[in-house]
Amino acid sequence: MGPESQSQIKAVADRFGTDDLVVVLGAADPEALEVAAETVTTGDPAYAGPLAGVSLGLPVVHILEPEVKEQVDPEVYSEQVGLLELTLDTDAVQTAMRKLRHEGGE
Amino acid sequence: MTLRVAHYLNQFFAGIGGEEVADRPPQSHEGPIGPGNLLASLLGPDGTVVSTLVCGDAFFNETAEEAHAAVADWLRDTGPELVVAGPAFAAGRYGVACAHVCRIADELGIPAVTALHPENPGRLTYPKAYAVPAGRTAASMKDALEAIVQLGRLLAAGDAPGPAEVEGYLPRGIRRPGHRAKPGAERAVEMLVAKLRGEPFLTEIPIDAYDAVAPAPPVADVSRVTLGLVTTGAIVPMGNPDRLKRASETRWSTYPLASRDELTADDYECVHGGFFNMIACENPNFVLPLDAVRALEREGAIGRLADFYCCTSGNDQRLADCARNGREIASALEEAGVEAALLVAT
Repeated sequence: MGPESQSQIKAVADRFGTDDLVVVLGAADPEALEVAAETVTTGDPAYAGPLAGVSLGLPVVHILEPEVKEQVDPEVYSEQVGLLELTLDTDAVQTAMRKLRHEGGE
Repeated sequence: MTLRVAHYLNQFFAGIGGEEVADRPPQSHEGPIGPGNLLASLLGPDGTVVSTLVCGDAFFNETAEEAHAAVADWLRDTGPELVVAGPAFAAGRYGVACAHVCRIADELGIPAVTALHPENPGRLTYPKAYAVPAGRTAASMKDALEAIVQLGRLLAAGDAPGPAEVEGYLPRGIRRPGHRAKPGAERAVEMLVAKLRGEPFLTEIPIDAYDAVAPAPPVADVSRVTLGLVTTGAIVPMGNPDRLKRASETRWSTYPLASRDELTADDYECVHGGFFNMIACENPNFVLPLDAVRALEREGAIGRLADFYCCTSGNDQRLADCARNGREIASALEEAGVEAALLVAT
């Protein structure tokens, strides 16, 4: 996760607190997901961005998970995510997310 | 006295940014940056990260001479007792840069250590570098830096590390004379018996995973051949019908070229995730040069162009998949009567 995204997430967490905050991930690759999830939970593993050493402990979900999809206006979802949903291996993403949350102790 | 450590980082790990700033020239900073802070805490009171050199991956690889000179100057100015480069994980250009930093440090007589994924091409750049194994991504940062610190301390103390399999670094292809408890014949028979029984055994001569590929013989008369186009640059028909991945792809695809004189931005796109692909999307011929090859065909410089091309995303692929894809593409071309292939650099 790039420094810019980390800085935005940190700013949101600083402003609104972490209690009612969830991070919706969009990365397609299981390895990138692992890094992104770790960044917003235990801190940036690359130690490259503003979340280095900052443990926000935020819950993570993925935009391609059915529980997230059903909360979005279908028209907006189709416009913004439709092509990605067709192109990406959604099963692999969902499996990776379950594994990540399990490892995170949730 | 504390150990003076100099640390090399690319633009991403220094927190500057990604591909858009990969052309940043080398710049040194006092003290640690980014993962250097973790390195500093692992070193504890016995060591200090005195300086960090940050250089863009594109700059390091495309302006090699200047980058290498800057590394040497930085090391002379800083005078470290240990150089740490990376970890570079599976990042190819960063791995190559880290290997060069280790080489330059070696030439100046300064111990150096890096961390690379075993398939990182940096291992071929300077095989003698001391590199501890790292995972593919920064998720393994802490483990990699811990291993770096352990091996780095040994090197900085002037102790010759034991063999790779004992110390845990990646093999450097160096064999030294030494004593074993049993003669070679006994060890060989024990290995053979273990193998026949299906039990685990450890070879003493591992086969290098990177095998050399013999170049194909030259084409006798290019003006008479059927030429096939192959690209690892992930140029696909608009909409990416086979869902070719941006990275870590295991497959390849083939698409028709018949009756096309060039590739247009309306009909084709680049889905490669390893470089800034906007320019390739605007003009896909820059990666798959159909326009230029058609011109050569009209001039009679080549016989004819095959009416399809073969394509994959050459980004962060496993070596085993690359080798299999290569064999499959070669046989598909052969079946189609193609006599020579143009594999365009990405």
